[in-house]
Amino acid sequence: MTVDAIITADVLDVASKPTVRPRRRQARTWRLALSLLLPSLLCLAAFTYLPVVRVVIDALYATPHGGSGTRFVGLENFARVLADSAFRTAAWNNLLYAVGTIFPSVTLALAFALALWRSTRFNAVVRTVLFFPSLVPLVAAASLFFFIFLPGVGLLDYYLGKLGLEGFNWIGDSDVALWSIVGLTVWKNAGYYMIFYIAGLQNVPRDQIEAATVDGANAVQRLWYVILPALWPTTAFVVTIALIQVLTAVDHVVVLTKGGPSNATNLLLFYIFQEAHENFDAGKAAAATALSVAALLAVSLGCLRAMDSGARHEA
Amino acid sequence: MHVFPAQTINPSSRSKRGIFAGNGSRLTAKRVLASLGMTGLAAATALVVASSAAWAQTKIDFFFPVPVEGKLAREMTRLVKQFNDSQKDVEVTAVYTGSYDDTKLKAQAAAKAGKPPAVVLMSANFNVDLKIAGDIVSLEPMLAAEGTTREKFLADFWPALHANATVDGELYGVPFQNSTPLLYYNKEHFKQAGLDPDKPPRTWAEFVDAAIKLTKRDGEKVERYGFMMPGTYDYLGWLMSALSMSNGGRYFNEDYGGEVYYDTPSMLGAARLVEDMIHKHKVMPAGVVEAGGVSTSFFAGKASMVMLSTGSLSFIRDNMKAPYNVAFVPRNVRNAVPIGGASLVMFKGQTEDSRRAGWKFVRWLSSPEILGGWSRFTGYFAPRRSAYELAEMKTFIGQHPDAKVALDQLAYAQPWFATYQTVAVRKALEDEIQAVMNGKKKAEQAVKDAQRKADELLRPYVDQTALKLP
Repeated sequence: MTVDAIITADVLDVASKPTVRPRRRQARTWRLALSLLLPSLLCLAAFTYLPVVRVVIDALYATPHGGSGTRFVGLENFARVLADSAFRTAAWNNLLYAVGTIFPSVTLALAFALALWRSTRFNAVVRTVLFFPSLVPLVAAASLFFFIFLPGVGLLDYYLGKLGLEGFNWIGDSDVALWSIVGLTVWKNAGYYMIFYIAGLQNVPRDQIEAATVDGANAVQRLWYVILPALWPTTAFVVTIALIQVLTAVDHVVVLTKGGPSNATNLLLFYIFQEAHENFDAGKAAAATALSVAALLAVSLGCLRAMDSGARHEA
Repeated sequence: MHVFPAQTINPSSRSKRGIFAGNGSRLTAKRVLASLGMTGLAAATALVVASSAAWAQTKIDFFFPVPVEGKLAREMTRLVKQFNDSQKDVEVTAVYTGSYDDTKLKAQAAAKAGKPPAVVLMSANFNVDLKIAGDIVSLEPMLAAEGTTREKFLADFWPALHANATVDGELYGVPFQNSTPLLYYNKEHFKQAGLDPDKPPRTWAEFVDAAIKLTKRDGEKVERYGFMMPGTYDYLGWLMSALSMSNGGRYFNEDYGGEVYYDTPSMLGAARLVEDMIHKHKVMPAGVVEAGGVSTSFFAGKASMVMLSTGSLSFIRDNMKAPYNVAFVPRNVRNAVPIGGASLVMFKGQTEDSRRAGWKFVRWLSSPEILGGWSRFTGYFAPRRSAYELAEMKTFIGQHPDAKVALDQLAYAQPWFATYQTVAVRKALEDEIQAVMNGKKKAEQAVKDAQRKADELLRPYVDQTALKLP
């Protein structure tokens, strides 16, 4: 983006001073662009790219717990990870968790934004209330939900009991536990995504909505044919950060279930943690990390590309 | 981490390290100070700065977990301060490092980063793994320097603690706080159910019978459960080992880290007991309940009997409103419970000075007086028998009959589960028992699957040891 801006500026500049030769001009442009990018590139290299490279290298070596030294094993760690039923369970759980959290939280966020996008004092209060969960750190939220989820004596069971519904073991029943985690995540994130939609809604061309209204489109049609397409870049962005979140935020799993019961709530990141720190298997942990990062990269790139094409389509 | 102030302040002090090491350094420094003190105040003041550096108080880090509550962390900080004030050679920095698991993680991370803590209060069943990983040092040289032997040193500690303190026949940990599972029960509920509150169930038959009588139902709905126990990782493995040991089993091979006994009649019986209490008698809630959920239910009168650690004694005493009492874990074949708790270990990568300083601190912290005080404060039992000979301790036991029961049960204590890959091997069983608790598997299948998974995990070690033949 920065490079684009500079080149554009330079081109304009050139138009007024046609004496500079193109090649030198180009070289200078790149030098400038690089020097401007250098600080962030250095940070990225030191704290993002190098660790990624390091993880990939680590994934090719095995250091058996209690064995003698590190040795090169090629792709063996990857094979062991893929053969591990706990990894497959974690990957499947992560997929369910992704679908289960992203769809409802984005839908809710959009609904909240549509209801609250006009700036009135009342709306500001409600927005704050809805945004509040995203201010609570995930660890704190999970500790809070521990008391809400307590079977028999917890807040949730207390109120459900008044309605005559009882006997749920929210985080101790292997059929229910993952969905309790999903519920907590939706509660936590919907308000955050709402903010993006409120910002996005400010940019929906008012005249198009008015035109559609004049043409006799009802609310649903206006939403479907005018507002949603205009919000496409926002949606792509929100889905991207939501996807990253489902792979990188597992604090609630650590606090509430440690991946249990019987691995029912184990997610990829927590699996990696267990392999590295509980099972002393750094090679397997590195291989699982490499696989997760690759999946994350592919998914994010897909989303960003969709966002780009959506934006271009809009333009 | 140990820091040599001399090194940081005086660049030429590297060569002096030999001269100013240990006790000698103090004497030399004092003598120098004394002789120069006469030459004038100004000169002396200047020297205090330089020589206090050379006189090198050894600074070490001490990592400690507190699995229960915040007030224990404050008490530990107070103890460390007391140690620092009591002498001048060593200054200990106490670092609170979260749960048992977090403490292991942080100590290992610090060691990888080149700053290993000198002393760590470590969950006692991690010693085997930490020794295999080469993270902790044998304490035998320290014993030798004192002119004592392992046998003499351990003689004062309860016999059940010896196995977890030693790895491959060498001392690696000094027991500090220990616990066993204990049955807590609500005396009022016992009366209501027509049971004698002074005669808690001693056998599994009495136990199941009591649980059935104590369970209160409203049609299908259970208003009060006869029995509850934590089913989360770590706690569940410990309680299952209590039940299988009470059923005559051993759970694991105390002398060799490559064997566990999951697919055995003793473990199958324990798994079936849990299965029956949940699904057949319906006196225990299905699914997994966390320890906090179990104690909360006990306080709220929603559970009549609970199995928790003796380490919760103070916590229960402070929070339980209704009259309660404690009892041994019921037996089917014999009375037996596993030990739990933590011991003091020393990390590799220390200088000679900080190792000596660390050992000095370990010795102080594991003295009968300190252990007794910590035991009274927390509810853990003191690992040294001589701690119970102290007057304060006798008074305390006299005043707290529940602590007496916990102490009496020690006679039946067994070593704590520790193998190669302790956590993963334990989890192999826990995942399966959790499936039983959730009604997803029958006990027979569960113990078979647990054994298969555990054997798989143990194979690399077994191949390197018991099956490595000439």
